[in-house]
Amino acid sequence: MVNRPSAHVALSVWKALILREALFRLFGSRAAWLWLLLEPVVHIVFLMFIFTVVRMRVVGGIDTPVWLMLGLLAFFMFRRAGTQSMQAVVANQALFAYRQVKPVDTVLSRAALEGFLMLLVVIVLFAGAWLSGLAIIPTDPLAVLQAFFGMWLVGLGFGLMASVTTVLLPEVSRTIVLVMTPLYFLSGVIFPIARVPLPYREWLMLNPLAHGLEAARLGFAPYYQAVPELSMPYLYGFALVSVFFGLALHVRFAVRLASR
Amino acid sequence: MIIIEDVHKRYLTEHGPGKWVLQGVSLTIPPRTNVALVGPNGAGKSTMLRIIGGVDQPTRGRVERQCRVSWPLGFGGGLQGSLSGRQNAKFICRIHGHVEDIPERIDAIRGFAEIGDAFDEPVKTYSTGMQARLKFAISLAFDFDVYLADELTSVGDAAFKRKAQKAFRDLVDRAGVILVSHQEGIIQEVCSAGIWLHKGSAYWFDDVKDALSHYRKSLTI
Repeated sequence: MVNRPSAHVALSVWKALILREALFRLFGSRAAWLWLLLEPVVHIVFLMFIFTVVRMRVVGGIDTPVWLMLGLLAFFMFRRAGTQSMQAVVANQALFAYRQVKPVDTVLSRAALEGFLMLLVVIVLFAGAWLSGLAIIPTDPLAVLQAFFGMWLVGLGFGLMASVTTVLLPEVSRTIVLVMTPLYFLSGVIFPIARVPLPYREWLMLNPLAHGLEAARLGFAPYYQAVPELSMPYLYGFALVSVFFGLALHVRFAVRLASR
Repeated sequence: MIIIEDVHKRYLTEHGPGKWVLQGVSLTIPPRTNVALVGPNGAGKSTMLRIIGGVDQPTRGRVERQCRVSWPLGFGGGLQGSLSGRQNAKFICRIHGHVEDIPERIDAIRGFAEIGDAFDEPVKTYSTGMQARLKFAISLAFDFDVYLADELTSVGDAAFKRKAQKAFRDLVDRAGVILVSHQEGIIQEVCSAGIWLHKGSAYWFDDVKDALSHYRKSLTI
């Protein structure tokens, strides 16, 4: 019998992994699929409540709920893809009993699945917002997609690198989890970075996630007063470099990741 | 044919590299040959099997598989506890590139495992015996040229053991097998050639009885 070409093996492994991860992610625990949807909703509702209390109806020219939703969902795109794929190698250790499955396959398929699920979440929430009368139709849908894809790509790069350190240096992964909460604030999910005075604003814009968030809002409404330093090449450059570096780590440590 | 060239293996421990498990193993395993791997506990039999199966990489040297080789059967792990037996079986079908005929293979696996409705329950609710039944049934569902078996036929209750041994004999007739076992009965019945692992080296014997006698002699000294 002829051996299958490598690309064919990889494709069938990705398909099998994505289907299996989807089962676990959607039905692995009681109403797991509901929490997938509820988590961003709870964040949005809570923040909208706060903004109502401080009576801030408009941020940078667009409605506060829309501004919040876009920022949160874009940030969740990164965070979910990143944290889920970061755990992929540890969680799928049992599968390396089959030589067809490489550690990097588990990371890639988790990130792909997470991106797809997050896209569904975004569509459902946008539909809900539209039904409740918010002005939620983007002016430049492609720019919004581009921003979300950039966030996902940064998440993938993060996941590729962090999945290696989680196995080889478990101490580092604890620090990484700690970093996630400050990132939520620093990326401009709940305050407009455009209002921050100059030397500090440039420092905040070193964070690629801030670029993705602002780009999503700008694609939504061209009159949005975005941060002047906004640069998509920076977001994508950062994402591609981290994906490349993450893949390089996986090549370098392929053997040590799979064997215990 | 499986070609093993100058394979060295040592594991990384908490305190740096451990001692060599395999040192300079070079073998060529011809097609359709049943081979027994013999040696005392800790001689590196399972390590050898894992390296041949491509599940573990040698520290130095290389392995070339010129045929379809199974994963190490009877090997711990390989099933995900939170998924059901059916879902696990489907996954393994998919990674081996069998997509069109999944229903037939699933039926065959379910029929052989005889675990009833538990087939659709999560694997973590299974007893050890049920897990072993499922693993054995899954491994029978694929056509490999060489099967890697690690103490495979010693699973399950008496009835299943008989059935498993019969299935194993049929399998040995149509494909090659590399068998790790401490039961000399099954070794002598199934295998024609033998590999004796001794102090990190491997010795090939065309007659399995010679491998066993060397192994026994090394134990009595």
